[in-house]
Amino acid sequence: MLKLENINKKFGDFRLAGISIDIQEGEYFVLLGRSGSGKTQLLELIAGLNEPDSGLIWVDNENVTKKKIQDRNIGLVFQDYAVFPNMTVFGNIAYSLHCRKTEKKEINERVNRIAEELNIHHLLNRLTDNLAGGELQRVALARTLITYPRVLLLDEPLASIDASLKDDIKRILRRLNKKGLTIVHITHDYREAVSLATRVGVIHNGHLIQVGTPAEVFCKPVNKFVARYSGIRNFFRVKFACEEGVWKAQCDGTLAFVMKEDNYPVEGLMIIRGDAIKIHCVEPSNPPANCFKGVIREIFPSEYGMEVTVEAGEKFFIDISADNFKQLQISELSEVWITFPPEAGIALQGNF
Amino acid sequence: MTKNSLFNWIMLFLSSLVLLFILAPLAGMFIKTGGTELLETINDKEVQGSIWLTLWVAFAATIIFAIGSVPLAWLLARKKFPMKKIVQGIIDLPVVLPHTAAGLAVLGFISRDGFLGKVADAMGLTLINNPAGIALAMAFVSVPFLINSARDGFSAVPERLEKAALTLGASRSRVFFTVSLPIAWRSIMTGFVMMFARGMSEFGAVVIVAYHPMVAPVLIYERFSSFGLNYARPASVLFIVVALGVFILLRLIPGRKKEIQLSPDAET
Repeated sequence: MLKLENINKKFGDFRLAGISIDIQEGEYFVLLGRSGSGKTQLLELIAGLNEPDSGLIWVDNENVTKKKIQDRNIGLVFQDYAVFPNMTVFGNIAYSLHCRKTEKKEINERVNRIAEELNIHHLLNRLTDNLAGGELQRVALARTLITYPRVLLLDEPLASIDASLKDDIKRILRRLNKKGLTIVHITHDYREAVSLATRVGVIHNGHLIQVGTPAEVFCKPVNKFVARYSGIRNFFRVKFACEEGVWKAQCDGTLAFVMKEDNYPVEGLMIIRGDAIKIHCVEPSNPPANCFKGVIREIFPSEYGMEVTVEAGEKFFIDISADNFKQLQISELSEVWITFPPEAGIALQGNF
Repeated sequence: MTKNSLFNWIMLFLSSLVLLFILAPLAGMFIKTGGTELLETINDKEVQGSIWLTLWVAFAATIIFAIGSVPLAWLLARKKFPMKKIVQGIIDLPVVLPHTAAGLAVLGFISRDGFLGKVADAMGLTLINNPAGIALAMAFVSVPFLINSARDGFSAVPERLEKAALTLGASRSRVFFTVSLPIAWRSIMTGFVMMFARGMSEFGAVVIVAYHPMVAPVLIYERFSSFGLNYARPASVLFIVVALGVFILLRLIPGRKKEIQLSPDAET
């Protein structure tokens, strides 16, 4: 549907290098990357605001690399909405129809329909300067959707709105995607990818590092950067060795983790998700392969519930739910046992 | 008295000195002008004609030069091109030139030996001592005000708004007329008023190009040099009042428009 083939583009000292992505019809593709990673530039190349130095952009098997922006039928919603401050909400939404010289009656019908759909009908006669973030986002979406774009490009659509309104916008985006609209959404927040994406790409310094389903990317990150992006904070530099049929990962210190059976490199980086580690107040009677005694150093509230830092030869960052935290009745300096199954350890390869 | 309030008092005192410096001579001129003299000057056909000539020629020069200046301002704000800084320097040149020198430069250009003079001559028109020549002299010294203000206005229009319009199917010209120009309108109008006001008050360049027909600054000078201060003063007061009235009126036009809040471009 949307295919990027070895896209290269230089922007001063920065360059997008060899970006290739194949996005299928009806997919919700989230491109994750830090600020300055090149994701907005990539979006602008797809929209036609810039032309790649080399590489091809295909939409529905048509090469649109050199096609005029106006003829691509690709909708782009900007990070801070870019609604026209000199027009009313109606004027903004109708803008593209005026450009296409649509008849007045049809303009009225279509604007009213999309405004109803996005629940901004009551704002149509308002100027845009007093609208709230969520309302502006809906106006920007309506203005783009009214053109029936083949692909909808979203530049950090949830970055500038209140947390309370994010769910509303997410619901709208899911609904649009369910109706069959292909969406490419860029963000720096992996949680948006988890909650919306059917497929995720991670971009860093102009290079596409990993593409896959959210489960593939977040459970099997290809390197430390991607792992960090999925919220993982437990990284251990280890040497892998198989002793009597059991794979172990030996840390620089004294700890050694039992790993599931696999082919591991001689050395590398091992990660464990914070929510894969359990905390016990007493020593488990039938402990799993990995069980370590430690002391709680810090406890912080987190989005997940609580984040507990345990010193057990190495530092472990553990996410537990608020209910679980209450049941455990733990505090800083409490002595605890931490456990995790061999499958929780993920080995990373490559350059760390 | 705290340090902070002492600082405020010093700032206020220094500011008052400057304001007084501007207001005192004007106030003195108004106070010294008698009602009878002013009434006579208002009814003086020569003064009326001169003020009217000044206003319409300055206005016409501003309108005509705005047609080319606004696109030039847009280019300066939006495009990168070789020797852009030199072009910017050329635009600012008339502001720093002595106005008599500017007048001589314009005279050379519009006299019968000059390029524009020859073209006008071929059409049976003489630019020297003609309102058209006056307009050119006024525009020469005042057009940088319009260009610079409009350029700042276009620079303040977030590029993403123009990009958004393009992705919505607008042509480049439509983007200019429906997005860039309306948003930069306030700055353009400010430049327009500044150019008009500057052109209207120009003496040095105009007097070299056209002593006759007399624009108001030339008429005031002529009355001063021929008959003295008392005779020139009522004409000056009248011109100042009219100019101030027009200036305020023009200032109100962009003021009526609702102020547009612009945020900086989003980080990429």
